[in-house]
Amino acid sequence: MGMDVDVIFKIAGVGIVIAFLHTVLDQMGKKEYAQWVTLLGFIYILFMVASIVSDLFQKIKDVFLFQG
Amino acid sequence: MKLVGAILILLTTTWTGFEAARMLHERPRQLRQLKAALQALEAEIMYAHTPLSEAALHISRQISLPLSKLFEQFAAKLQVGEASVQQAWEESLQDVWETTALKQGELEIMKQFGETLGQYDRHTQQKQIALALVHLEREEADALERQARYEKMAKSLGVLVGLLLVILLI
Repeated sequence: MGMDVDVIFKIAGVGIVIAFLHTVLDQMGKKEYAQWVTLLGFIYILFMVASIVSDLFQKIKDVFLFQG
Repeated sequence: MKLVGAILILLTTTWTGFEAARMLHERPRQLRQLKAALQALEAEIMYAHTPLSEAALHISRQISLPLSKLFEQFAAKLQVGEASVQQAWEESLQDVWETTALKQGELEIMKQFGETLGQYDRHTQQKQIALALVHLEREEADALERQARYEKMAKSLGVLVGLLLVILLI
């Protein structure tokens, strides 16, 4: 279970930092950079979550569809 | 070990951010000093009738560090007397510019001012100084606006980018 909690904290940390970056850039009138930063953060988290979900599916396959 | 690396990354980016903020903070101050120096030069030329090398030496004692070097070198080059005034001015500009927070626009203004230095009579010279002062005034307004906009951003951006890197790399 230790690894799972780690991942949740990491996602939360990235989210908080990206949110701060977005507000700071937005306030200074750099809207387009703010949007790029948010998008990149989102993509990064998406890849992380995708790899974890693929792990989950692999496990489900191993449990229910085992062949020999 | 991980912790040490994280702290190092954080320190580096924070320092970079603060350095950028310091540059933004220094530029208007140095522009003001440059203006004061030109005004002093005008006074030396118009009223005290001092030769250029002595005037530059006086000014270098009046203003503080990065810019005082400019006038100090200028005076030294004039006293050696090998280069023309314009060459001496331009060389000292090149030498000192790296250590200041000033930008390309100011460099061009100062170079153009240097081309007129020591070529005309006193009244034309006064007009040239006034012209350079007007240009510097404009640059100073620009620098002040940039400072108000970006100084805080540079600081927080440094810290936040460091945090993000640390979280991504853990």
